Order: sequence, then C-alpha cells, then structure tokens
Amino acid sequence: MPLWQKNIQMIKALRKRHLQIWTAWAVLIPIGIISAVIVRPQFPKDKLLQPTSTEALPVILKFLDKDNYAIQIRSNPDTSLLQLEWINKKTLIYPTATIYEDTMNRNSISNAVLIGRIEARGTYHFQLNKNLVRNNYHFILYDFIHQKIIDSITF
Amino acid sequence: MGASYLAVGWNRQKKIYDWLIFAFCAVYLTTFIVLTAIFNPDYTFETVLIRSTSTLALILLHVILIIGPLTRINKKFLPLLYNRRHLGVTMFCIILVHGAFGILQFHSLGNVNPFVSLFTSNTHFGSLADFPFQALGFFALIIFFLMAITSHDFWLHNLSPKVWKTLHMFVYLAYFLVVMHVMLGVIQYETNPVFIIIMAVGTIILITLHLIAGTREVKKDNIIYSSSIAGDNRLKGFVKVCNVNDILEDRAKMFCIKDERIAVFKTGGKLFAVSNVCKHQNGPLGEGKVLDGCITCPWHGYQYLPHNGQSPPPFKEKVSTYDVKLEGNDVWLNPLPYPEGTERPGAMIEMENVKYKMENGKKKGQVS
Repeated sequence: MPLWQKNIQMIKALRKRHLQIWTAWAVLIPIGIISAVIVRPQFPKDKLLQPTSTEALPVILKFLDKDNYAIQIRSNPDTSLLQLEWINKKTLIYPTATIYEDTMNRNSISNAVLIGRIEARGTYHFQLNKNLVRNNYHFILYDFIHQKIIDSITF
Repeated sequence: MGASYLAVGWNRQKKIYDWLIFAFCAVYLTTFIVLTAIFNPDYTFETVLIRSTSTLALILLHVILIIGPLTRINKKFLPLLYNRRHLGVTMFCIILVHGAFGILQFHSLGNVNPFVSLFTSNTHFGSLADFPFQALGFFALIIFFLMAITSHDFWLHNLSPKVWKTLHMFVYLAYFLVVMHVMLGVIQYETNPVFIIIMAVGTIILITLHLIAGTREVKKDNIIYSSSIAGDNRLKGFVKVCNVNDILEDRAKMFCIKDERIAVFKTGGKLFAVSNVCKHQNGPLGEGKVLDGCITCPWHGYQYLPHNGQSPPPFKEKVSTYDVKLEGNDVWLNPLPYPEGTERPGAMIEMENVKYKMENGKKKGQVS
C-alpha cells in the first residue's frame, strides 16, 4: 500500500482511537477522583495547613529557644486554652514540616498527635488539646516528604 | 504555507492570539500572588509561585483540550484552533516553572540528588493516600516537553504525520497523570471542597465534549451510501452521495466511503473531488472554501487546486483526487483515489444537467 493511502487510513483510525480513549477516561478519571476523595485523611479544619492568623494567647507557660526557631507554650489567664507558638528565626532548610505532640515520649510519630504544618518561614500558632494527659511537653518536628524526624523538642 | 521553515510565521492573527495568552497569564499570576499575599501572608514566595503556576497550567490544559471537540461541534470556535500550539507551548513553559520550583523546594535542600529524591523519597506505591504523586507530575511534564519541542511543522514533516500524531496523542495520557497528580497531591491536604468541585467540573466538561464530538464523527464515518445498479457500466464503482443542490457554491460536502473522507467541491460550474485531509496537519479541507480558485484549508490556510489536488507553485503539497459524475441532480463519487496530484476533469454541472434531460426526453437546451 502506498504511503499516502496508509496515511489516509491512519486518520480514520485516529478518530476511532480518540473516541476509545475518551470513553476509557470517562470511566477511569471519575474512579480516580472519587477514590482520591474517599482516601483523603480527615484533618480537623485549620490544623494541617497554616491556620489563619491567630492571636497569641497572653500567658507564656514555657519557652524554648533554639538556633533556628523558638517555641512557646501559651495559654489564656485561666488556662482553659493552650497554644503552641512556633517562630522561625532563620529559614528552615526543610521547606515544609509537620509538628506532632508525642505525649508518650516515644520519639515516634506513630501514636503522636498531629498539631499542624509549618513552612520554611513564618510564625505559627496552633491550638493544643488541654485535656491530654502529659508529664511534659514533647514535640517532634517531622519532614513528611523524606519521612524523617528533623528534631525533638522537650520542655 | 511556506516553502521553507520559519521559527514562527508571524501574522496579525498570531500576534493577537499570543498577546491575549500573555495578558491572561500575567493577570492571572498577578491576581493570585496579590490575593495570597493578602489572605495568606505566611506563605513563602516559592509556595505561591508553585501554586499559581500549577493552577494556571491546569486551566490552560483544559482550554487546550476543549478546543478540539468545540470546533467539531461548532465551527465558530475554529479561530481558537489555528494557533493552539502557542497555547500548548505557553502551558509547558508555565508548568516547567511549577515543576522546577517544586523540585527545588521539596527535593533539592537535602544530600540526595533532587531527581533521585523525587523517586525515592516516597515509595508508597501501594497506598492511595500516600501515593508518590510528584512522580505522576514529572512524567506528565516529560510528555509536555516532548510535545512542546516537536510542535513546529519541521518535526511534523520529519517525524512523519503518523509518528508525530501518535506522540501528540500522548497529551491524553498526560491529562490523566495531571488529574491524578492533583487529586493525590494537593487535594489530600486541602480541606476546602471547592478544589475538588472545580477539578470535577473541568473533567466532566472535557469528557462530555470529547464524547459528543467523537461519537458524531464516528457516526459520519459509518454512513452507508448506495452503489450503482449492476450492469450500469457508466457508473460502475461509483456511489451516490448527494444531490448537487446540497453543495453550496465554492464549498464542499464531505463523505466517508471505504477508508477515508472525500470532499466534493462545487466551483466554477463544476464538481471536483479531493481527499478531505490537508497535507499540513490533517485539517478537514471539506470544511474550507474555494478562495481565488484554490481549495483553502480552514485550519491554517493551506491551498490546493481543485482539478489536480496540487498546491499552487512554489508549494509542493498534493492531495489525492477522485472521479465524480453528475447524473441529473445526483452526485456520484468513485471512492478509489488517484495518486496525489493527479488531474481529473471533474463533472460539469450545467452540461450534465442538459445531457441528462436530453436523454430523458426533455426539450433541448432546457436547464432545471
């Protein structure tokens, strides 16, 4: 068959192929979207990403100063509310990281409570659960991209 | 049309098209950055750049993929098709910024090669929620890169239309990868359902339009035409396709017989039949018109002489020609193509009408 005839046949075959592909996508893409929505973790609002700018509570209960960041535990006067304040003093070398509260002091995120996510710069305020039983405050800074613990912070 | 290759054959329409693209991108990025600075001041500039370029590229990708079926459904959208490749290359440039900053932000600050980190930092292929979605985006970027660098006509001719078209159909795979990159990536972190809704609406519109256009085109391909009566040697091998009055002057009607579509043009008192497929990018010649005596492709203006399917000198493109006859008002077409550029006499409309009426006992010289 001459090339020009082969090219002509190719066009009709292409039209059919287009329809086949989009028929397949009509099935696969909705399955993909629905599956992705179903497996979405159920984060509390304002927990994982930076919360909207929250005012710092007035009372400082604990304070820890490190080279690159400072951490404070704050509360209101009657300690009915607890807050973690994270201040990046220098740009973190990790572009995003999550903070966990490790109440069992196991230095592992397996049973730790997710507090929130921070980025390389900024100051963050996260609400802490005041009802948790804790001997001290133990936090883990976790790089979730490379899945490793960056730092452990104990007050 | 060009006898030699130019980087871009600028004309007024291309300039307007590109200015509109540039303006839209500039306004979108600026608005996104400003709004983020107001409502999320803690976001770093890198994060804002990653997000703004990703959302812009997603919008452009949907627009690009919608143009094809829209033009099949309604010819008014044809001007969008003419320079669609400019949109594609723009989208690639934007997505390149997104990919580069994403790799920079998430993989380049450690002690592992960023591209190695991209594929080794997350190996949870068995988990949907933790799926290494960044790899999906990377593969989509590779496809867009290959499409962008081969978007020029030079590659269309040197890779051959079949290879070129096959390569560019990978855009559909890239679209799927992009959808899953978004759904398994940022959607897993965003709590606001509006992002899922926007994504779902975009894909629904795209899929619906492609299915409508595709079904209509395949239906056209499957129309069966009646053959000549056995024993009628004059019309042996011909099929009856339409009435001559169905074809407008300097326009065509398209018919799909056996392998491919044939365009029958009415011009200068004659009917000519040529392949419907333009040599440039397989545009539908039958949807064009005759300008200055030449069949003109509606997509990019490539021209062919109706009687021999050749481009006027100095251009060298040729399309196949076919035999066409007129019996009374019935147009008969022989679907067996002649080699490209073969001269064929066509069918005289008025003469054929008179001859038919004479043979059927009408008065001499009377024309319907």
